[in-house]
Amino acid sequence: MDWNATLEFARGPFFTAALFVFVGGLTYRLVRVLTLGWSRDRVPSAGSKAGGVAKSYGKGLIIWPFVPWVKQTFAGNAVTLIAGGIFHLGLFAIIIFGAPHMLAWKSMLGFGWPTLPLPIIDWLAAAAIAAMVALAINRVANPLLRKLSGPAEALNWLFVFLPMLTGYMTTHHLLFRYEVIYSLHVLAVDVMLIWIPFSRISHFVFYFFSRTIHGAQFGKRAVTP
Amino acid sequence: MKTTRAIDTFVEETGGWVASQLEACTRCGICAEACHFYQATGNPDFAPVWKVELLKRAYEQEFTLGGKLRTMLHLQKKVDEADLEAWSKLVYEACTVCNKCAMVCPMGIQLGPIIHDVRAGLAEAGMVPDDLAAAVNKQIEEGSPLGVTDDVFESRLEWIADDWEIDLPVDKEGADTLVIFSSIEIMKFPDNLAHIASILNAAGENWTLSSKAREVVNFGFYEGSADHTRLLLSRVFDGAVELGVKKIVVTECGHAYDALRWTAPNLMDVPDIEITHIAAVLGEYVESGRITLKAGAYDGDGKITFHDACKIQRRGGHIEEPRKLLSILAPESFTEMTPNREQAICCGGGGGVIAIKEADPIRYKAFELKIAQAEAVGAETVVMACSNCRLQFLDGAEHFDWDMKFRGLAEMVAEAME
Repeated sequence: MDWNATLEFARGPFFTAALFVFVGGLTYRLVRVLTLGWSRDRVPSAGSKAGGVAKSYGKGLIIWPFVPWVKQTFAGNAVTLIAGGIFHLGLFAIIIFGAPHMLAWKSMLGFGWPTLPLPIIDWLAAAAIAAMVALAINRVANPLLRKLSGPAEALNWLFVFLPMLTGYMTTHHLLFRYEVIYSLHVLAVDVMLIWIPFSRISHFVFYFFSRTIHGAQFGKRAVTP
Repeated sequence: MKTTRAIDTFVEETGGWVASQLEACTRCGICAEACHFYQATGNPDFAPVWKVELLKRAYEQEFTLGGKLRTMLHLQKKVDEADLEAWSKLVYEACTVCNKCAMVCPMGIQLGPIIHDVRAGLAEAGMVPDDLAAAVNKQIEEGSPLGVTDDVFESRLEWIADDWEIDLPVDKEGADTLVIFSSIEIMKFPDNLAHIASILNAAGENWTLSSKAREVVNFGFYEGSADHTRLLLSRVFDGAVELGVKKIVVTECGHAYDALRWTAPNLMDVPDIEITHIAAVLGEYVESGRITLKAGAYDGDGKITFHDACKIQRRGGHIEEPRKLLSILAPESFTEMTPNREQAICCGGGGGVIAIKEADPIRYKAFELKIAQAEAVGAETVVMACSNCRLQFLDGAEHFDWDMKFRGLAEMVAEAME
């Protein structure tokens, strides 16, 4: 098999197609939700909606176990919160501040930015991969999460896990020749991009709706969200 | 067909507000930990995310390409009558719509209001539990779920006025403030009427009761039916407009306050009348000096704690007023339960749950959390500003043979006035 050609395909036309599906699909979902109709909230406010929204985003980030209002939630969902937190932190740090990723962004955007040293990125990647494994085990072991999970949840996990695993293997030249594993990494990213609009991984878009609504509704009542 | 009616209502209710939140859910299951019914029983069906699953499925099957495709390929079952039946139990019997789940959702999804939308669909489909449906009908026909008809209202007021030697103005022309009690207070806590009346009189409030707007409870709102909610709200507003009042005071009833203050303007055209809760009124009277309280009136009789009602505190906004009052009334013996304020654990009897006999076992189960909470701080008295909560506390205490005193906030204020 000609892996150089595969790589060219994965980075070229297939990536463009994947990006097209990703952007087009998410735009479609966004437009569909936006055009469903938004009735005006005619209830007179007792507090500040804007203030509630600001607090809502702030509190959304403060999910550390020692925070008083998180404690109880944390006790019952330690794996979800710890592993979920590590996974998200690792994921965003790597795709933004990992040197090879920054270069990929640079080639698309035309400008770059400082990156994190490889050892840090490497540990974050290992931690994020371990966190994903923990999340998968938890999803199967916990009766409620098992109830909430179907093929879609399994595919979500798989299509995010593969780019991470192959990325890690690419950096460490594990098992495969470099151009092979690098091609697999890019292919996995392409597949993930295509899958996102069909899945709940798209929560990164709708997060901004629900957090805003939450904050506004509590702010309106002069209650801390 | 029942299912069609439910789905039509879901479609109607599912505007951008609901859809965008359903789309944001990652099915992480964290909301379960906030639910007192899940915590008390460990039953995964009681997880808030599962309670909205019915609406989510209907939304996907009606609106999303993926949902339509999955249904076509038989990967997802179409919503049917058996589903409606199953979810009727979940959203009416194992949910008080307290919205604690929204506090822990990492996405901030407002699960409580969405569960209310699930109820709306089930109400249209006629899938409301019998006990609750009977109470709704009773309120529509007689004016009150607890049988407070015109005659009963009149005779109860007469009796209370006599017994407590208190002036209870009814349909008073030119009054500024209309005070509306719940039938729970009229029938089970009549002293609440006397106490609140004595406070209003002491504060020099120009107030009245209304023979038309005499029931603040809204069982249509419990049930989720928009039509019934509107009908019962309009009785209140019509009575208020007839009297020409500037302000409506909702007494110790949480759901009624939610319906009147925070829901009505989005359901119907409402008159320009300020709506407030008695807890806020009490706070304001003390702050402005219209009434003065004996400082430390309740100190020295064991620890006192405050139970936050989901619809008056978390969903109502009157969190600080009761605390200010208690810090005057019992500066030394007032102590907070954990968690409290907007994070408080619901009593387990709200949202109409206490009216459904079938829900009794899980209602008591959920109440155990409340017992543990109060005992953890060594409280000897639990104060609250919601008579529905008080009913749950009294019933729960009897069921568990729990030795604890329960008091209404207004009653404590009335008895400590100087």
